[in-house]
Amino acid sequence: MAEAALRAGKETQPNPQVSFGAWGLRAMALTYLLVLIAAPILIIAFEGLRHGWDIFWNSVSQPVAASAIWLSVWTAALMAVINTVMGTLTAYVLVHYRFPGKRLLDTVIDLPFAIPTLVTGVMLVLLYGPQTIIGGFFQQTFGLRILFAPPGIVLALMFISYPFVIRAVQPVLAKLDLNQEEAAHTLGASGWTTFRRIVLPAILSAMITGGMLSFARALGEFGSLAIVAGNIPLRTQVATVYIYGQVEGGNLPAASAVSLVMLLIALVTTLAADWLMRRRTHA
Amino acid sequence: MKRSTRLSLILFSLLLLVTSTSISAQDAPSSITLTLAAYTTPREAYVEIIPLFQAYWQEQTGQEVTFQESYLGSGAQSRAVAGGFEADIVALSLERDVTRLVEAGLITHDWQNNEYNGMVSTSLVTLLVRPGNPRNIQDWADLAQEGIEVLTPDPATSGGAQWNIIAAYGAAYRGHVEGYEAGEEGAFQFLVDLLNNVSVLDPSARDSVITYSTGIGDVLITYENEYYAGIAAGDEYDIVYPSSTILIENPVAVVDSYADAHGVREAAEAFVQFLYTPEAQAIFASKGYRPPVIQAVEVDGADATEEPEAVSLWPEGALEEELFPIVEDIFTIVDFGGWDEVGATFFSETGIFAQAIAEAQE
Repeated sequence: MAEAALRAGKETQPNPQVSFGAWGLRAMALTYLLVLIAAPILIIAFEGLRHGWDIFWNSVSQPVAASAIWLSVWTAALMAVINTVMGTLTAYVLVHYRFPGKRLLDTVIDLPFAIPTLVTGVMLVLLYGPQTIIGGFFQQTFGLRILFAPPGIVLALMFISYPFVIRAVQPVLAKLDLNQEEAAHTLGASGWTTFRRIVLPAILSAMITGGMLSFARALGEFGSLAIVAGNIPLRTQVATVYIYGQVEGGNLPAASAVSLVMLLIALVTTLAADWLMRRRTHA
Repeated sequence: MKRSTRLSLILFSLLLLVTSTSISAQDAPSSITLTLAAYTTPREAYVEIIPLFQAYWQEQTGQEVTFQESYLGSGAQSRAVAGGFEADIVALSLERDVTRLVEAGLITHDWQNNEYNGMVSTSLVTLLVRPGNPRNIQDWADLAQEGIEVLTPDPATSGGAQWNIIAAYGAAYRGHVEGYEAGEEGAFQFLVDLLNNVSVLDPSARDSVITYSTGIGDVLITYENEYYAGIAAGDEYDIVYPSSTILIENPVAVVDSYADAHGVREAAEAFVQFLYTPEAQAIFASKGYRPPVIQAVEVDGADATEEPEAVSLWPEGALEEELFPIVEDIFTIVDFGGWDEVGATFFSETGIFAQAIAEAQE
């Protein structure tokens, strides 16, 4: 899905011909956007600030809320860095090499978008829980707890936002002029130099765009984290689970205030990603 | 394009047809539909009680009654009904979730006006341990020991989890936790030490049981009936009764507005009454629920002299050792001021629970 959206965004050209039908189409699309996306965002902003700046600030700066926001942000950021590197590598392998099962692998990559994230949480518990072979090994050998601790959060986020970077980088890599790479090779550049000087500059903004989208997506993750994070306030409770708790407890002002902060962080990130994408298309 | 519009038109008209026929089927006077909105855990009991009631109602009135059942977390269910899910009867896990419907103007009668204060079943907060009790957990105090891993759901998201916190705090407050002085200070300290050992706060009581069954944690704080549900599902664990614990009381009520709008008040009230019959209570008991407690308060409308005779709903033999052991000290939510007060003092943003969690992290 994201792949299609990314491609479509790059390749369609606006039709210069303006007709009545085109205006109708435009009005329809804009209304749809307004009703579906803008209205809910505005209502959250309104709810979050309705009770005044003081209540907003109190709700957000309260230790449990602040630590939940911070935990969400740093785990998502760490995940974005890891997935940007590993996703680029995967995309590179998929574009440049042939191996059996490549087609299948290319399809499997999108699965994390299709799997309900609650299921993701259950899978991770079965795989990395303290009583499993892998989880037990880490706990005994390194005293490191994977699940119900920040590593589990990062792991879940890596899974759910895995496709973003790959699907952003893959088409750019595929379109990249192979001649340049070959020329660099014949001129004696090593594989690494070729990658660093020729390939990387071309795909850098796609990498960052993918990374930022995955970061924004991860900020909003709930289903898998409700299961694997542990949800201890101040320790392993992320912002979305905190918000859920506030909604359940009937404390809508606090829920909206924290939601608004998360929304702003996501908004800034997507705007930055958008800006990079534009720069890339103009370059 | 055109073909797909035509297809969707056909589908739409088909849908209309289906819904309209199902509505007209409900209009038949010989049959009615009752909608029951319940919390998740007593599902197994209701599945068995409903056919009994259907037979009873058919015999009494000749009317066929079909049930629409919905099972959700108590808080979520209550909010759904308040938000327009038109249930005729609600069976929830705590009083406050019914109070919400009273405040929303949906329940207008005095739903607690019976010998059992509107409660239909009870249970106790208990401790589940691994088979054979390898960590030798005997009472609350053992949960605060170093190295013990405790699971309990999050009171922020699970109303039911609030029972657990009050049970632990209350036991210490009443001087039943060794090593902690009775009173507020000792109880708070016990809560801090206990929370320090909690490794996962799952969103709901059932989630907590599931996490525990995957092998995480030494002790799970949960209800007596959850133990029986787990055993019935084939899970293996032992139950430990603490020396002091809270009595969980689960309310049931007819939702006046919706029952009247659907014209099913009579059947809805009869169903609630039916839950207090020995047959229904025997089914509750077989699922691990204790019967409701008879209230000393006199029932409205009756003279003090001719107070209706309250029937003990304990099924025969149930009180004997095996099924429902007697616990030394049982208290209720009223001992801590009722749910409204507990909500404010314990579970507000700056309440006792939030303070204890913060201190446990230091």
